[in-house]
Amino acid sequence: MRGNSTNMNAISQAVRTTAGSQVWKRLWKFRWQFAMILPGMVAVFLFNYMPMGGIQVAFREYDIFAGVWESPWVGLEHFSFVSDPEFWKVFKNTIWITVLKFLFGFPAPIVLAIMLNEIRSRRFKRIVQSLTYMPHFVSWIIIAYIVEAMLAQSNGLVNHLLASAGVEKIYFMGEEGWFRPIIVLTSIWKEVGWGSIIYLAAIAGIDPQLYDAAKVDGAGKWKQVWNVTLPNMLPTISIMLILTIPTLLNAGFDQIFPLQNPVNLPISEVVDTYVVRTGLNLGYYGPAAAIGLATGILQLLLVIGANSLSRRTGGSRLF
Amino acid sequence: MRSSLGERSLLAVNNLLLALFALSALYPFVYMTALSFNEGLDSVKGGIYLWPREFTWVNVQTVVSNPLVRDAFWISILRTVTGTAIGVIVTGLAAYGLSFRLLPARKFLMVYFLIPMLFSGGLIPYFIVLRDLHLINTFWVYIIPTALSVWNLIVMRSFFENIPEALIEAAEIDGANALTIFWKIVIPTSMPMIAAITLFTAVMHWNSWFDGAFFVNQLELKPLQTFLQSMLANAEAAENLRQGVNAESIGAEASKAVTPTSLRMSVVVLGTIPVLLIYPFLQKYFVQGVMIGSVKG
Repeated sequence: MRGNSTNMNAISQAVRTTAGSQVWKRLWKFRWQFAMILPGMVAVFLFNYMPMGGIQVAFREYDIFAGVWESPWVGLEHFSFVSDPEFWKVFKNTIWITVLKFLFGFPAPIVLAIMLNEIRSRRFKRIVQSLTYMPHFVSWIIIAYIVEAMLAQSNGLVNHLLASAGVEKIYFMGEEGWFRPIIVLTSIWKEVGWGSIIYLAAIAGIDPQLYDAAKVDGAGKWKQVWNVTLPNMLPTISIMLILTIPTLLNAGFDQIFPLQNPVNLPISEVVDTYVVRTGLNLGYYGPAAAIGLATGILQLLLVIGANSLSRRTGGSRLF
Repeated sequence: MRSSLGERSLLAVNNLLLALFALSALYPFVYMTALSFNEGLDSVKGGIYLWPREFTWVNVQTVVSNPLVRDAFWISILRTVTGTAIGVIVTGLAAYGLSFRLLPARKFLMVYFLIPMLFSGGLIPYFIVLRDLHLINTFWVYIIPTALSVWNLIVMRSFFENIPEALIEAAEIDGANALTIFWKIVIPTSMPMIAAITLFTAVMHWNSWFDGAFFVNQLELKPLQTFLQSMLANAEAAENLRQGVNAESIGAEASKAVTPTSLRMSVVVLGTIPVLLIYPFLQKYFVQGVMIGSVKG
């Protein structure tokens, strides 16, 4: 028995070492691949994981000389924003803009794709597509200049036209009420063409026989769109819907910040711009980091919610 | 089958609406270009819609000879070229490495790269990291933090995964290592996808203004879009553009006709043209790129 067990030990020892050396062998076999992945891993560690560690700033009185890890703890002091009516106003502004953008911006590329699909002339279709994709490639700063050039009170194009038609000029950028419509319209104008690409592909994948069958049944254009095109786009639409959920807290910093002015600030200040203003401009790192952490957690919950929704509706998991 | 009158008019309305929308996407650029080539004082009168009424090079000349604009333009070019090259290489290499199905710890590595898509530390901790790494107020703050794009990583990896394995195995039998295979086989077969990713990355760099506005103080390091942003926020900044007016070369009369608006429009055109120029040539690639990203992502 004893001899047997030592034998067994020796065997398992041998198995273990070969297993060990096999792991090393496998690792060694993939040494080039690891070397290729390494720079990316380092970048993600530095610029994504290190800031996660830096969230402590939300619970510390950040002292630039002591650094993140040595600054004194202050508990939840920086989270006093939850009882600050100013913050809730900003939060409300954010939700207003994201909901309006969603309501009008989500269906827009679907409609555009269906309309594009009805074009008979290939050339015309290509031209329309090229032109509508174009604004996607232009920065929001340029868009802000376009808004200004079009809507400025004294020499904007729209006001020139209004004036020559005898209508009184409108001070678009000087009235709070115009801010949200401008934001929603420009975001649709900029992204609708680009957003339609994926829906066009979905339409292109529809079996033409389905349309033939509908025609035989006497369905007109509207009925074909309603009963054939839209139902067949549904999987794509639901995927896009789920992908949109996590962005519901994101009002669009790059778009909004350039268009802010003292007049529209009560309505145009959103969480992201508020964090930049209080944190980066005024240097209140703690409170700004606390707001950042709170929105980060909300965002995470939205992603998890979207993912479970996607699983439940039979779609694939997003992650 | 002949279509009914109702359907034909429906089609006509559809085409008309689309044509109008397409023109609305183009028109602002035409309008701003016309303004930037029209004499400033004349523009104030209005009535310029499609092309300049009093054509002049003065606005563009003034802007281009302004040292601030010229610096900003070169910073933009430099960051776009460097940032795109480094970004595509770092992301592409990682994506290729991760595309090997037998790679040890592959699951763990993917999770490592995906977590940042779900949760981020937020702007303030990010800023503190940049400062601790001494990237603030350097050119490299434009390049290094964006070197790896998780989104592009996912797109590129799924593309690499679909390259026929027989191609790669054949090269392995010939004794090529992973780097050689990447260079000689993987890159050539993935060219359309790489072109699309390169285009997206370049556009992202050209259009970035946030980092230049908040992570860099020196004027001479600011890219063109940040320069445009600061001019947007501060109307007096447009006056500074006149610094470039060289009365001798342009003529005192002409330089008087320059207005802040006409100068601003010229800088805007300068900031838009590079993107709009390369975009038609790469169109077929980027449509493909969107599809790869959406089908596989």
